[in-house]
Amino acid sequence: MTSQPAVNVRDISMVFNAEKSGQVDALRDVDVTVDSGEFVSLIGPSGCGKSTLLRLIANLIEPTAGTVEVNGKSAKQACADQDYGMAFQQSGLFDWRSVAKNIELPLELKGWDKAKRAARSQEMLDLVKLPDRGAHMPWQLSGGQQQRIAIARALASHPPLLLMDEPFGALDEMTREHMQSELLQICEVTNTTVVFVTHSIPEAVYLSDRVVVMSAGPGRITDVIDVGLGKNRDEGTREGDSFYKKITEVREALRGAELGDGARGIEDR
Amino acid sequence: MVTRRVRSAVRRSVLFVVALGLVAVCWEIYKAVGPEAGGDIFGWRLIPKTNDRVMPHTWEMFAELTRPAIGQRGQLVWQVLLGYSWYTFQMSVAGLIVGTGIGVLLAVVMARFRIVERGLLPYVVLSQTIPLIALAPQVTAIRGSLDWPQWTSAVVLAAFLSFFPITVSTLRGLQAAPAASLELMASYAAGWWTTLRKLRFPTAIPYMVPGLKLAATAAVIGVIVTEITLGGLRGVGYATIDYSQKVTSQPASVYAAVFAAAVLGLVMFAMIVGCETYVMRNRPQEERG
Repeated sequence: MTSQPAVNVRDISMVFNAEKSGQVDALRDVDVTVDSGEFVSLIGPSGCGKSTLLRLIANLIEPTAGTVEVNGKSAKQACADQDYGMAFQQSGLFDWRSVAKNIELPLELKGWDKAKRAARSQEMLDLVKLPDRGAHMPWQLSGGQQQRIAIARALASHPPLLLMDEPFGALDEMTREHMQSELLQICEVTNTTVVFVTHSIPEAVYLSDRVVVMSAGPGRITDVIDVGLGKNRDEGTREGDSFYKKITEVREALRGAELGDGARGIEDR
Repeated sequence: MVTRRVRSAVRRSVLFVVALGLVAVCWEIYKAVGPEAGGDIFGWRLIPKTNDRVMPHTWEMFAELTRPAIGQRGQLVWQVLLGYSWYTFQMSVAGLIVGTGIGVLLAVVMARFRIVERGLLPYVVLSQTIPLIALAPQVTAIRGSLDWPQWTSAVVLAAFLSFFPITVSTLRGLQAAPAASLELMASYAAGWWTTLRKLRFPTAIPYMVPGLKLAATAAVIGVIVTEITLGGLRGVGYATIDYSQKVTSQPASVYAAVFAAAVLGLVMFAMIVGCETYVMRNRPQEERG
């Protein structure tokens, strides 16, 4: 925590020019800092700009105003240096590549040699607990397994930062909880910083050190909640009182943000 | 999965033969019951004659293949046709390869530059409305001025016919990469060229297969039409012209040449299917044709 922050977002505004409705304020005056090793979730109703914020950090889009720094570099430089890995709601694995070759994709683009790539992809397969699936094709795996491979791919080049956009959104509840525990273990082992977009309150609370609560119209941060459940979370954590208290706190923060607006109803799950 | 594919292949082959048989049966039934001298409906001459010159028996057409070819020193018709077919086949394959090269190149340029797509695509479509026969003499004139051998005319015209379905299908395929995958490549800071090789092109392959199938048969038509138009090229196209002049003495021989052309088209098609099976072996079932 003494070193520079992993992500430093300053005074970001993002305006989209929509054809018919004119300008849309996706984000206005947003500041976020994520410390190295921290797990931060972005939560809020749809249209609050949480995915936009993630894409700004990933340099997939450029802000209308403000600055984004990743590991002390500009977002663009961090992208060029591959300082982060990404995982999306769709696993986005390439059908024509074997599971191992999918994991090796970022390494290939970095110019690693074949033997080194193969060794790393096996290491990653072990990490996500699918050690013998390297030769399979992605479409032969279940949805949960595909998402694990996507995480393995995102972490293959050992980036210090992982950006995730509702990665477990398409999974069933049981698989989802299981994947959450796995993700925490993986991050513990690899000491990865995570920025995690979700619309599930329990997911955000279970995973995060801090939950950033956002609100729409214009997209902005309304609250930041320290979860404080400690580092070693397991299935018991989900049943503890402090877990429920934090869920209530996040839910009230979301509702408060909405009531302050007098805006639409929120996703309350 | 393998046994299912074999079973479906067998079923398709059987259906192919059955369909051919049904056509032959219809032909023979009409020949048996239809009027020898043709007929009129409401004063319009709509009923074709059924005599042996206009409608030879189907078995005559096949028997023709095993007769000695006129003026070919002891060779049988099928042997002569096989030689012609091999000639046409080589030029069709060459035309298909050139057409595929040009087609893919055009698609890549159009996918890269939106403005080229807007400007060029209408001309690409327009090019296919030009009758090949009108183009053939011009192509020959240009080829002659370049001192290229005569057969290159056929290759050029086969390529001219076959590039179109490839351009259209490849362009569609190159634009089919999902937004999430494109974002993934962008997050790797991958340039356009890298994204083309690693993502867009592999995504395009299933889209290209139907285009290639059309292109393969179009290439055969291109070569045959060139042979018919220009003369001097001894392929299946030449055979159809040659045999049509013998229609009075050997009416079934024209059909023998038609068979050769049809079989040639099927062989080209089968070649593409073979490549498809190989290239698509690792793809999910629903993407396969």
